[in-house]
Amino acid sequence: MDASAKTMDTATKSPVMSRKTKEKIGNAITYIFLLLLSLLVLIPFFWMISSSLKQDNQVFSIPMEWIPSKPQWNNFVVIWDQIPLLTFFKNTIFLSVVITIIQVLTSSFAAYGFSKMKFKGRDTLFLAYIGTIAVPWQAYMIPQFIMMREVHLTDTLWSLVLLQAFSAFGVFLMRQFYMSIPEELSEAARVDGLNEYGIYFKIILPLSKPALTTLAVLTFVNTWNDYMGPFIYLNSTEVKTIQLGLRMFVTLYDAQYALIMAASLISIIPIAIVFIFAQRYIIEGIATTGMKG
Amino acid sequence: MKKSLGLIFTLILLMSSVLVGCGSKDTASSDSKDSKDGNEKVTLKVTVWNYDTTPEFKALFTAYEKENPNVTIEPVDIEAAQYDQKLTTMLAGNDDSDVLTMKNLIGYSNYAYRGQLKDMTSYAKTLDEDKYMGTLDYMKDDNGKIYALPYRNDFWVLYYNKKMFDQAGVKYPDNITWEEYRDLAKKLTSGSGDTKVYGAYNHVWRSITNSTAAAQVVGKPDALVKGDYSFIKDMYKTFLGMQEDKSVLDYGTAKSTNTTYASQFETEKAAMLPMGTWYMAGVLNSKNAGKTNVDWAIAPLPQKEKGKVKTWGSPTAFAVNKNAAHSKEAEKFVKWASGEEGAKVVAGVGVVPAYRTDAINETYFKVAGMPSDELSKKAFKTDFFNIEMPMDKNSAAIDKILNEEHDLIMIGENSVDKGLKAMEDRVKSEVLKK
Amino acid sequence: MMLNTTPKIVTEKQRRRRNNLIAWSFITPNFLGFAIFTLVPVIASFVIAFMKWDAFSAPEFVGFENFKSMIHNQTFWISLWNTVYYTIGTVPLTLIAALLLAILLNKKVRGISTFRAAIFFPYVTSLVAIAVVWNMLFHPDMGLINDFLRWIGIDNPPGWTSSSKWAMPAIIIVSVWRGMGYYMVLYLAGLQSIPRELYEAAKIDGANTWQEFRHVTLPMLAPTTFLVLILLTISSFKVFDLIQVMTMGGPGRATNVLVYLIYNEAFVNYDFGFASAISLVLFIIVLGITIIQFRVQEKNTDF
Repeated sequence: MDASAKTMDTATKSPVMSRKTKEKIGNAITYIFLLLLSLLVLIPFFWMISSSLKQDNQVFSIPMEWIPSKPQWNNFVVIWDQIPLLTFFKNTIFLSVVITIIQVLTSSFAAYGFSKMKFKGRDTLFLAYIGTIAVPWQAYMIPQFIMMREVHLTDTLWSLVLLQAFSAFGVFLMRQFYMSIPEELSEAARVDGLNEYGIYFKIILPLSKPALTTLAVLTFVNTWNDYMGPFIYLNSTEVKTIQLGLRMFVTLYDAQYALIMAASLISIIPIAIVFIFAQRYIIEGIATTGMKG
Repeated sequence: MKKSLGLIFTLILLMSSVLVGCGSKDTASSDSKDSKDGNEKVTLKVTVWNYDTTPEFKALFTAYEKENPNVTIEPVDIEAAQYDQKLTTMLAGNDDSDVLTMKNLIGYSNYAYRGQLKDMTSYAKTLDEDKYMGTLDYMKDDNGKIYALPYRNDFWVLYYNKKMFDQAGVKYPDNITWEEYRDLAKKLTSGSGDTKVYGAYNHVWRSITNSTAAAQVVGKPDALVKGDYSFIKDMYKTFLGMQEDKSVLDYGTAKSTNTTYASQFETEKAAMLPMGTWYMAGVLNSKNAGKTNVDWAIAPLPQKEKGKVKTWGSPTAFAVNKNAAHSKEAEKFVKWASGEEGAKVVAGVGVVPAYRTDAINETYFKVAGMPSDELSKKAFKTDFFNIEMPMDKNSAAIDKILNEEHDLIMIGENSVDKGLKAMEDRVKSEVLKK
Repeated sequence: MMLNTTPKIVTEKQRRRRNNLIAWSFITPNFLGFAIFTLVPVIASFVIAFMKWDAFSAPEFVGFENFKSMIHNQTFWISLWNTVYYTIGTVPLTLIAALLLAILLNKKVRGISTFRAAIFFPYVTSLVAIAVVWNMLFHPDMGLINDFLRWIGIDNPPGWTSSSKWAMPAIIIVSVWRGMGYYMVLYLAGLQSIPRELYEAAKIDGANTWQEFRHVTLPMLAPTTFLVLILLTISSFKVFDLIQVMTMGGPGRATNVLVYLIYNEAFVNYDFGFASAISLVLFIIVLGITIIQFRVQEKNTDF
C-alpha cells in the first residue's frame, strides 16, 4: 500500500522519471514478495534439510533448531551402505527416461490426431481417454495385474513401462496445447501442399516445445515418485526403485527420522536437476519459434 | 455368472496374446518341470515382511537350509504396512509362492475362508495343543479346519524402566491393577517442556483398551465381534483419565506426529509401556546397536482385578499356498518351523515361539541381554490367554469400525458412552445385519 | 458397386476414408498401449461392479445389488460428502494460486528460475516426509501454525488434524500447497504460447495491466484453464495418498474420501464388486462434471 502510494507520488512529481522509477520499485516489491513466498513454501523442505543433519533424538526437539549446532554429515554416508541405493537409482532412472520418451512421442502424435484432424468417433474416443483418468487405479489394479501375469511380465521393469507409458493424461495435455495453436497455420500449410505428417513435423512440433517439455517434466517426476506401481509389480531387489528403497528405509529405521530425511533428500536431487534444466525450455520455447509472424 | 467372468478373461487373454504370442505355453511347461524335481534341488519362495528387521525369518531360513541342503529359501520381502494388499493381488493373479506368512488372524481369515491355503487339519490334530498355549484352537474356522500353523505367539506385558522406578523410589509393578497403573504413572511423571518425562506411554492402537477388556472383563475370544462393547468402558475411562492427569503423551499428539512406542521407551520419555512381547527383541537390538541404554525389564500386564494374570495376543503362522510350486516341500518346512525345532530357533533370537516348553522358555531367557529377574519370568507365564481378534468372517469390517470410533473417543470428541454406543450401532447395522 | 457408378461420391468417400486412416495412424501407437493396459482392465472393473467378487473365487452376477447396498451405506454418503468438500475447497484455491503464481513468475527477472523451482518443489518431495513435517506444523499446542495464530491474537486456534472439524481444511491447505506449483508449470507453458503482439496491440490501445489481463491473458489461457480445471477436478475426486499419509481417513471418518473407501472395501473387506461399483459411481460423477465443463468451454470459445 505504502509503496504504491509512493509511486503515485513520484509519478506526479516528475513524469519523465516516473516510468523507470515505477518499474524499479515494482520489481523490488515483486522480488521481495517472491522471496518471502518461496521461503514460506519451502519451510517443510528446510525442515527436511535441517533434520537430515541432526541426530535422531534432536529432530523433534522443541524449540526447533533450524541450523544444527553439530551437523551430522555422516548421515549421508551411512545410507549408501544400508540399502543398494545405486541399483535403485539405476532402475528408477531407466523407468523415468524410457517412460518419458515413449509418453512424449506417442501422446504428442495422438494429440495431433485428436486436435487437428476430424474423423468418425473422435470425440467418443477422446472421452474414453479422459474417462479412464477418472477411474481410481485401486479399482482396476487386480484385473491389470492378472493380465500382466498372463504375459509373464510381473517383476520386470517392462511391466511398469507398459502400464505407464501410454497414459491418457499425456494425450489430454498435448491436445489442449495444440488446441491453442491457430487452425489457420495448418490450413495454410495444407494449401501449400504439405500433408498431415509434414504439418505435424514441420509446423506443430516446433511450436509445441514448451508443452512437450512440460509433459516430459511432469511424466518424469510422476514416474520417479510413483510408489504403488512398483510396490505391486516388483518383488526382486535387483529391479526395485528408489521409492521402494525409501519405504524400505522407513521401516528399517523406524524412528530414525534424520536418516529418513537424508534418504528423501537424496531421492529428490535428480528431480531438482531435471526441473531446473528443463524449465529453461518451457520458458524459452516461443522466443525461438517464429510464432511472432 | 461364470460366463461373464469368462468374457472378461477371454477379452484379457485376447489382448495379452496379441502382445506376446505364446505366453500361455510357457506357463504349462515351466510348471510341470518344477513339480518333477520333487526331492532334488528346490527353491522355496516364502512371503515375509521387513526381512531385515524381523530376525526370526533369517534365523529360521538359515537353520532349515542347513538341515536340508537340497532346499534354498528365497524370501519375497514385502513392506509390512501393505503386506495383505500385495499378497491379495499376488494370489488373485495365481502367484506360485510356496509358503505364505500369516501376519495376523484377520488376514488369515480372509485367505482361509476364500480357499487360498492348503488344508493342514489332519496334521494339526496330531499336535499337543497345550504346548501351543491354545493358539491352535484360534486357527480353526467354523468347520474346525486349520490352514496355517503358528510359529510365533506374542502376548502383552508391561515394560518398565527400572532406573526411573528406583529414582522415584517406587516398587516395581508386580501384579498391579489398571487403577494402580494410573497412580504409578502420576508418581513417575516429572519435568515440563523439553525435560518432560511421562509416567507411561499408551500407544494409539485400539487393541490396548479393547482386547485387554475382552481378555480381562469378558474372557472370551469372540467378545469383540458380538456387537456389544459396554465392557470396554472402564478401560477407556482409565486411559482418558491418564490423559487428564498429563501422565501420558496425549493421543492426538501421538497419532499426528506418528510417535513410535520404541522411541518413547528407548529415549526414556516414558517409564512404563504396555506392549507385546515382540518388542523384547526390539529393545535388545537397539541396546546391542548402542542406540539406547535403557535399563528395562518386564512385568505382567496390569489387570482389572488383582490375582490371575489375564493377557492377550495374536499368533503368527505359516501356511502353504494352494498354488504352491513345491507344495510338499513347503508343507515340510511349515511343519518344521512351527514345531519344536523351529521354536528353538525362534526363541534363540529373542522372539516368543508359539510352541513352548520349559526348555524353550529357558532358551529364550538365555538370549544375551534378556532380563532374567523373577518378575520378568513371572510375566512370561500367563494364567489366561485370549485372542486379540478372533478368526471370523467379519473381523476386518468390525476392526475398521472400532478403529474409527476409538479415534473419536480418544481425542475427546465423543464421550465414552456415546462412543461405545456408536460402535454397537454401527457394527450391528453395517456388519452383523448383512 | 455404388462407388463405381457415381465417381464424385467415390472421391469424397475415399478422401474421408484416407483421412480416417491418417488420423488413426497418428493415434494408434498410443491407443494400442492405452487400450490394452488401461481400457481393458477398466472395462473389466466395470463388469465386476455388477458382481460379487472377492478376488479369488469365481465372481457371481448380482445385478444392481452392489448399487442398492450403496444407498444404505452410511460411510458411502459420508465419504461422498467429504470428497465433494475436499474438491470444492481444493479446486478453486489451487487454480487461482497457480494462475497468479504463473503470471508473477512469467517475468524476465534475475533468479526467476530459482523461484519457479521453489514453488514447484513441494510437488516432488516425498509424501512420507511431507506428512511428517506438516503434522508437526499443525500440532495444536506446539506447532508453528498455531504459534503464529496465537501471536496474531487468536486465542483458540483450531485443533487441525486432531479434530473432526478442522482435519479436512488442514488436508486442503497441504493439497493446495503441494499442487499449486504443478499447475503453475502448466500455466507457464500456456502463457508462453500467447503471441507477444497481442500485448503490444493492447498497449497501443491504451489498456492498463488489469485490462490486459482481463482481455488478453485470460481468454488466451482458456484452453489451459480448461485443462487445469479438469485435471484438478479429477485428481480431487481421486484423492487418496495424501489422506492415507496424513490422517488415514480420521479422526473417525472425518477425512474418509471415496477412493479411501474403495481401497478399504477392496483390500480390507475383500468386496471387490462393491469397490468397483463405487468406482463406477465415481467415474459417472466425474464424467458428468467433465462433460458439463466441455459444454461450457464450447460455449465460451464462441465469443
